[in-house]
Amino acid sequence: MFTLALSDEERLIQETARRFARDRLLPGLRAHERARGVPPEVVREFAGLGLAGGEDLGAFVRALVLEELAAVDPGAALALDAPGLAQPLLDAAGLGAAAGRGVVIEDVEGRFHARDGRLAGEHPWVPADAIAVTAVLHPGCAFVVCEGWRLTPIAACGLEAAGASRLLLDDAPIAATLEDPRALARARAGIRTAVGALLVGAARGAHEYAMRYATERTAFGRPIAHHQALAFLIADLATAVDVARLAVWRAAAALDRGESGEWEAASALAEAAEQALLVGPSAVQILGGHGFMKDHPVEKWMRDIRTLASLAGGRDEAELAAAALAPEHEMGFARGR
Amino acid sequence: MIDLSIGRDLETWLDQVRRLGRDYLRPLGIEADRRHEPVPPDHPFFALAWRMGLGQPLGVEERSASGPRNGARRGVVLAEEMSYWDRGMSVAMPGLGLGGPPLLTMGTPEQKERFLAPFRDREQPHWAAFGMTEPGAGSDVAAIQTTARRDGDGWVLNGAKTFISNSMRADWIVVWATVDRAAGRAGHRAFIVERGTPGLEDMRYEHKMGLIAYESSSFTLRDCRVPVANLLGGERYYAERAGFKGAMKSFNATRPAIAAMAVGIARAAYDAARDFARAHYALDRPIPRYQRVREKLARMARKIEGGRLLCWRAAYLADVEQPNEIEASMAKAFAAGMAQEATGLAVEILGDAGVTADAYVEKLYRDVKAMDIVEGTGQIQRLVIARRLVGLPG
Repeated sequence: MFTLALSDEERLIQETARRFARDRLLPGLRAHERARGVPPEVVREFAGLGLAGGEDLGAFVRALVLEELAAVDPGAALALDAPGLAQPLLDAAGLGAAAGRGVVIEDVEGRFHARDGRLAGEHPWVPADAIAVTAVLHPGCAFVVCEGWRLTPIAACGLEAAGASRLLLDDAPIAATLEDPRALARARAGIRTAVGALLVGAARGAHEYAMRYATERTAFGRPIAHHQALAFLIADLATAVDVARLAVWRAAAALDRGESGEWEAASALAEAAEQALLVGPSAVQILGGHGFMKDHPVEKWMRDIRTLASLAGGRDEAELAAAALAPEHEMGFARGR
Repeated sequence: MIDLSIGRDLETWLDQVRRLGRDYLRPLGIEADRRHEPVPPDHPFFALAWRMGLGQPLGVEERSASGPRNGARRGVVLAEEMSYWDRGMSVAMPGLGLGGPPLLTMGTPEQKERFLAPFRDREQPHWAAFGMTEPGAGSDVAAIQTTARRDGDGWVLNGAKTFISNSMRADWIVVWATVDRAAGRAGHRAFIVERGTPGLEDMRYEHKMGLIAYESSSFTLRDCRVPVANLLGGERYYAERAGFKGAMKSFNATRPAIAAMAVGIARAAYDAARDFARAHYALDRPIPRYQRVREKLARMARKIEGGRLLCWRAAYLADVEQPNEIEASMAKAFAAGMAQEATGLAVEILGDAGVTADAYVEKLYRDVKAMDIVEGTGQIQRLVIARRLVGLPG
């Protein structure tokens, strides 16, 4: 019968990632934003833990790790997780781990064109200043390129610690093309699950911070958390984080069981984005004027969440994918499920 | 890694519930809705279901001494499936109902033996009921006004109870009363009031917007005399001032299952809307309205599955005997809210046909509203969560 507990090993990994985020990311939160990156020694230290995106961790453990990192800094999570979101496509294409950062572009507007083994096009934003691999997804295929781009640094709404650039592919040689529908679906599901986990983490960070603040800050003679308007909001935000996490866990578990995870991952990203986009601005609201100031990190998580929810096709593509599957979707208790 | 499989044992039960649901629960629920009357206790279906051993999924098992517990998990899955077919009928099912938890958690061995005895008769269906709510005391349980006065070898009860499920057909009702209105929760006592007790009067059906299939009744206690032996738990239980906690304990045990009922109703709405859309709309054609229909279906399914996961987590924690108060309230608050949205979306998907009385979805839209009210309103659930998370007083 169903069991919703982590194994001892999973708990240990979760705790390791949590401690790393607290000790190594939190103190440099604003510095990493300004530097548009995480110091190399911190990157090396994280790689030493064996928890980065290139490792064969499985989708579930990866979701646990990404949530923990993103609960402190989702931008840094992307910077540390190289090749990050591109890894499911590299795996599917048999390319192994990349030598650096990877980015994924869901080409929803048909900006990229492949001809004679080369890919050309441009994209207004990728969350990186330097990359080793770019993956471009189209509805029926995906292209992986390992060279031949130009990156122009830009300012982005959030995720500054990951960097931000406009990307131009100038007849870049295509390293691999992925056309197998099942492999592509699984890779996409892996990407969506990872983005979902980042959103859950950022939302949790924002919620926990705002909740703590609300118990310390007093107004009208009592902690603001003890005014029902905020107490109810805090309860709803806690539920929002939990339901999003469970959706992400379910998608990750489906992937680790070898299923396509298409429905679960599209739903998980849609849910995580919706809930995180509720939590981020609400956390700022709970802090009032202080929330709007950079003295507290909630404004950062709000911006980060908005930016994350656009990653790899974001919420729109996830919702459209789920909408395409919905008329055939069964929710009854099917045998063996 | 989490495991979301149902397990073979439960699949056999689910097969039974499915057959029962298709053949009886849904048709009877729809019929009751059209007639505006609960299904009567002498309906042959109840005797049939009782003989098959299919009591209410909420019926709390007597705890077994060994082996992993799975009662709460089984409870949420079966509650969802029963409510998928008809939530009104699932409450109308014979069994201990909400009367079960207080008897099983507070009752003395003699009381359990005596009051469970009728339920071991598998020939005739039996019901029990739980009487807390009063015309002037719903969520504010501590404010009940029904009085209990010790008189010789018995207790005398006076007051009024309302919205009590299955009470007219119950063998006995757990009636909550106070020995001291000024004492609040500490003054509460629970009594087993048996059918036919003189002074248990004015039994009448309440008329509801939905969930017509089961009876919600009101009654008056007018100098209603019950023997001392019917004080649930005996004097000592209350001497330890556990009265109110007893009531709350029973809410805790049932909340994830109530939430799962909302999930079941929403799932029924999803299936009805999806089947309607497939039959009446050419969803593959690029018509803007059809894209909206697809998006609504996807949203319904996603929210329903989210609600189910919250229920499952709360039930899992109960089975492994970890605190689940926050999780149970989250499940209840979320599931009831999302189920209202989902049934509303189902009405929209059917278009104008959705609001006609022969469209099943409008019944679900009426039925599901109760799920955000019974067993602690959505607001009470948020109070519970906030008390735990930020120490909200009260």
